[in-house]
Amino acid sequence: MAGHHLIDAYLAELARRLPTDVVDELADGLHETWRQHLEQGLAPTDAARAAIAEFGSAAQVSDAFVAQASGRTTARLLLATGPIVGAAWASTLLAARAWTWPVPAGVAGGMGVTLLGVVACLIAAATTRHGYGRTRLGHVAAVGVITLDVAMLVLVLLAAPLLVWPMAIAIPASLTRIAMALRRMPRTAVA
Amino acid sequence: MKPDGQALKGHLDLLLLAALADGPRHGYAVKEALREGSGGRFDLPTGTIYPALRRIESAGLVTGTWSTVDGRRRRTYRLTAAGRRRLHADRDAWREFAMAITSIVERGPWPATT
Repeated sequence: MAGHHLIDAYLAELARRLPTDVVDELADGLHETWRQHLEQGLAPTDAARAAIAEFGSAAQVSDAFVAQASGRTTARLLLATGPIVGAAWASTLLAARAWTWPVPAGVAGGMGVTLLGVVACLIAAATTRHGYGRTRLGHVAAVGVITLDVAMLVLVLLAAPLLVWPMAIAIPASLTRIAMALRRMPRTAVA
Repeated sequence: MKPDGQALKGHLDLLLLAALADGPRHGYAVKEALREGSGGRFDLPTGTIYPALRRIESAGLVTGTWSTVDGRRRRTYRLTAAGRRRLHADRDAWREFAMAITSIVERGPWPATT
């Protein structure tokens, strides 16, 4: 069935805001809705207007995808739990006198820079209301969080000269967070 | 009576899973199933159905597959095993909740408490 210029314009607006897969899916639903209105006897232009009204404005539809994007939810979850895990590791590093560990300055510096980048990505993904692309930073940050947690666990295993009690909190906390972040990784190309 | 979107928001996942209980559907078919299944009472804004389907797909409750229909790409959703388990659990919880509410709002006169 041929399209209608109002529907084409609406889909073009959505394509500026959302990934191709999402727009393809919406296009199918919009054409089905339009066809339904045509079958009910509306003129093509009236049917197109009615179909678009049922979907809501392009901005409303796009914002609904942003609000429910898994990357945004993941970022909010990691931001909420981050201070607890961070405090456990800070206590561990202080109690175990981490500045005395035989860790190259480059490794420590790299972890610090990675941590800053992860936090920036998490904040960007968690706070966006209109940008779908920004929600994907939540998944990027989740990979960063997993990397940092694994690095800390390896560091403690290889470099910590003694066991300190905050490790009993920090290590399980990191393992739990790794499992949570892995579980929230997108199962689909668009998530 | 038509419930507003806000009233349905907390139950949207259960409604979507229930709409897919009988077999795979695409987004528009899910919307129509909810509208027809509710006798026209639940005519949800179409723009809310699609992101919610993507969200429950990310949660592993449904899985989507692409096909081509009339030259257009169509995404069809079906329940996963986890989605089916969630549907049963949420359905049971809803029945208990609804029975409790009904037993209160449809009971006889309340006894005087002076």
